[in-house]
Amino acid sequence: MLGGVLLYFSTRKMVYDQIDNSLLTELEIIRDQIEQTKSIPDFSARPGHQLEVRLISGKVRPVQVINDTIITDTTGYEHPYRYILYRGNLDENTGFSVVISQTLREKIVLLEYIGVYIFFLFLSLFFISIFLNYLFSRRLWRPFYITVDQAEKFDIQSDRLPVLPQTNISEFERLNAVIGQMTKKMRDDYLNLKEYHENAAHEIQTPLAVIRSKLEILAQRKELRKESLNLILSINEAATRLYKINQGLLMISKIDNMYFQDETDISLAETIEKILLGYREIMNLRKIKVDFLAGDNAMVRMNEMLADTLVSNLISNAVRYNFDGGFIRCQVHKDKLIISNSGPPLKTDTAILFRRFQKAGDNPQSVGLGLSIVKKIVEAYSMKIVYTCVGKVHEITLLFASPAGI
Amino acid sequence: MKILIVEDDNSLSAAINDYLRAEGHICELARDFKQALFKVADNRYDCIILDIGLPDRSGLDIIKELKENKVSDGILILSARDSLEDKLTGLRTGADDYLTKPFHLAELSARINSIYRRNNLSGQNEVVFEELRIRTSDNQAFVNNRQLNLTKKEYDLLLFFIINRNRVITKESIVEHLWGDDVILTDSFDFVYTHVKNLRKKIKTEGGRNYIRCIYGFGYKFGDP
Repeated sequence: MLGGVLLYFSTRKMVYDQIDNSLLTELEIIRDQIEQTKSIPDFSARPGHQLEVRLISGKVRPVQVINDTIITDTTGYEHPYRYILYRGNLDENTGFSVVISQTLREKIVLLEYIGVYIFFLFLSLFFISIFLNYLFSRRLWRPFYITVDQAEKFDIQSDRLPVLPQTNISEFERLNAVIGQMTKKMRDDYLNLKEYHENAAHEIQTPLAVIRSKLEILAQRKELRKESLNLILSINEAATRLYKINQGLLMISKIDNMYFQDETDISLAETIEKILLGYREIMNLRKIKVDFLAGDNAMVRMNEMLADTLVSNLISNAVRYNFDGGFIRCQVHKDKLIISNSGPPLKTDTAILFRRFQKAGDNPQSVGLGLSIVKKIVEAYSMKIVYTCVGKVHEITLLFASPAGI
Repeated sequence: MKILIVEDDNSLSAAINDYLRAEGHICELARDFKQALFKVADNRYDCIILDIGLPDRSGLDIIKELKENKVSDGILILSARDSLEDKLTGLRTGADDYLTKPFHLAELSARINSIYRRNNLSGQNEVVFEELRIRTSDNQAFVNNRQLNLTKKEYDLLLFFIINRNRVITKESIVEHLWGDDVILTDSFDFVYTHVKNLRKKIKTEGGRNYIRCIYGFGYKFGDP
């Protein structure tokens, strides 16, 4: 581009130099003629230039100027001209001035053509080079982009390892080898961990069953005193807790591993009704009032068991952390589910409410996994869950992924 | 009742054995698939308690074997996996019921008795304890032949008590029996208390004696007044 500009200006200078030269030559001829003849000959026959020669009375200071000018013709049109002005003396008392001017129009038009031509030439060169560069680099970087693409698509939970392209560029070959090893290792570790976790969770169940049943048999002993029974009771409670934790963690890992594949269209209103029925007795006992507003029958596509678990965990929390004589309000809209309930203000930070083992109260029977299970389910179906608390009213809003959950 | 316990964990099968023997059942033990197959080939049982996670082969294969030979022994599956799929597979193969570890022995006993009653339609479908009589064919309970007007929960509770009579039963196992594992109840124990109170009152009104003894903080014992 810079070359183009330079070329333009050098051409322009060349053109000007040429004009100036011709002007100077012309002037020299005319001056010689004037000086030889000591008079003003008739120059009207000379072609090419406009010429104006005048006699000046008195002596003048010799001067020679070359410059650009604009001459307005009779129609008012302006023409660019290059002119040379010369003043000299014929003798002691007479001077003369010569003005030779040459129109620049043709030259300027020519220059403009050259300029535009150069401009477009360079512009197209510029784009062609960019395009070629792009083509080359794309070809060159192709294996790299495929690798990045594969790495990006890599899902540790799927069975597929990334397929990396063959390449004869040693850097990329090395990159592919490293990424290949890394993903394979990651996946192996993940599978190992998953298997370990599942096995551990299942293997714990049998010893737990042993503990529980032995305790039950121990409790039958006639000679037991009250203190011993209390000991058995607390061991039993601990075993139950362990079982619940194990069950909860197993559930979370199952959701993570997308164990619950089959989905159906589920009417949330019906699910809520079903779950509420299970809690009716305890709500009657604690005099908790239930308001159930099923405005729109929201249909959500999800696994039935997960839908039950989701609603059940939310409602059980609403019951558990409520006042005697409090209320629970469930509202089903097309795009969201709102469960609000009365209850004492939370002691814990609401931001970490959905974390594992976060317990709102000091309830020994709560293991603090309910809401993290809820969160897992919500994430699995790309829904959103928001908790707000104003005074003694807690509200959980569940936003479905898209209108009507479809 | 004659019961076969197929369980690879000795400690657990011993506990089940202890509990069921004390209820007057005859129990035999098998530790793996081979032993179990050997036992069912020669003997008939009223109920087989079957752990499907056996070391040598899946317990489900025993069910298949039994069904092929048209043997109608009652089968209760014990499993460490509480997934719905396993449950359905088990029941589809021909098991009568499914219980997930860890379980309460009282619950196990109740389930076995229920299987037994269902499989012996020709025989007695009545459970009797002193002046109390429960007719399981239509879920009715009687005191001195006078019908008790019980709710579903009270009926279940009474049956659970009678099956596990003279046993200390934890509140926890009662809750699990009545409400299942799905309903997460924290103060459900007050609840058991309410039902027990009502049941006691109803039996008393019809002239029955009070057999339910509260063991403070722990649970209940149904038996001699």
